[in-house]
Amino acid sequence: MPDIKLSNGAVINFDNSARTLLDALEREQLEVNFHCREGYCGACRCKLLCGEVSYINEPLAFVRKGEFLPCCSVPVTDIEIEIP
Amino acid sequence: MAYTTFNRQINDQMKEPMFFGNPVNVSRYDQQKYGIFEKLIEKQLSFFWRPEEVDVSKDRIDYQNLPEHEKHIFISNLKYQTLLDSVQGRSPNVAFLPIVSLPELETWIETWAFSETIHSRSYTHIVRNISAEPHKVFDDIMLNEKILERAEDVTRYYDDLINGINLYQRCGEGTHTINGETHSISLYELKRRLYLCVMSVNVLEAIRFYVSFACSFAFAERELMEGNAKIIRLIARDEALHLTGTQHMLNIMAAGDDDADMAKIAKECEEEAYTIFRKAAEQEKDWAQYLFKDGSMIGLNKDILCQYVEYITNSRMQAIGMKAIFPTTQNPIPWINTWLVSDNVQVAPQEAEISSYLVGQIDNEVDGGDFGDFDL
Repeated sequence: MPDIKLSNGAVINFDNSARTLLDALEREQLEVNFHCREGYCGACRCKLLCGEVSYINEPLAFVRKGEFLPCCSVPVTDIEIEIP
Repeated sequence: MAYTTFNRQINDQMKEPMFFGNPVNVSRYDQQKYGIFEKLIEKQLSFFWRPEEVDVSKDRIDYQNLPEHEKHIFISNLKYQTLLDSVQGRSPNVAFLPIVSLPELETWIETWAFSETIHSRSYTHIVRNISAEPHKVFDDIMLNEKILERAEDVTRYYDDLINGINLYQRCGEGTHTINGETHSISLYELKRRLYLCVMSVNVLEAIRFYVSFACSFAFAERELMEGNAKIIRLIARDEALHLTGTQHMLNIMAAGDDDADMAKIAKECEEEAYTIFRKAAEQEKDWAQYLFKDGSMIGLNKDILCQYVEYITNSRMQAIGMKAIFPTTQNPIPWINTWLVSDNVQVAPQEAEISSYLVGQIDNEVDGGDFGDFDL
């Protein structure tokens, strides 16, 4: 199961019980902004510092290089992220 | 460069820029320069709702029992939203359709503006239910100084663009004397007005609605005005999509592959873009002050609402590659997010065709592994 490393050094294991990265982060009591949870508003935008994620649903929101939407993605490899 | 409703010039639409290329002739979607706009159209259509579907009859009793200062908060927000959607229901069509060059973008603009007209109709639905004299509410919009102050900034960039387009399409580039008045226009100046207009619309949808949304949901957290909150949720869901639309336009413009001039303009207008955001945030904070002038409501006061304006302004600016301008980094009202989750918007799936209903309920792919934990 891939690891999610946060910019503050904490590491969370992503297991299959979480549907999305946003669910996994919230389970750890991390405060991530969100609105639609469906990939069209972009409110949950985080920085993807390294690693790869894949989207369950292709997001409609504009996602710039080096960013990703945790609400509709899962990690493919170990990833390092920064929550704004 | 006169506008024509069916441009006879045979062109390759895939090579047209978003705006100021050839007017669109055939509305075709078999080929798309920017597929995202088609996806936004489909999403918006799947969101379709009608105000009459939401029962707001209990809101009448709730409203009668609100203390005067809370009635002021509720009705003032409704008036302000009515103004915003009056503008948004027509202006994208009037301003952008005469200059758009891509069929998928043209249709997105029409779909977008249409959904705003539903919002306008929903305000009448709400006001009719809570007031025996709805005309007094709507009549006041044109007299209320606090609302008119905002109207000026909401409409100015649209009007500048529309006036410029009229002149350009009638007379072309150059200096023209019309009815004794001299006006100058160039294509570059028009593109600048377009960029600022899209930026101002982005700010309108990103920030200006949210003070009002927060108040509506704060009432509903106390189980008051819940019919209204249901409608506001549907409106908020639409607005989030429109915001994504303008963010895509701005990002495509700034990248410069679509039209090199627009990238240059985006850089030149950077300072002005910051000013538009800052001014809107300040105006919304003033609005919060006006709303709470006679007293706060439970769960929300002027300071919290101002912090929320700062928080959401920062986040919207970062979405289009700008820097945050306020020190606030925490959402002071995290409970608002659950009201903005689209899954929680209750609709009858067979009517609204929510994507989760369509894709989640039927799984066509079944293999042996699916029976792994199955015992007889």
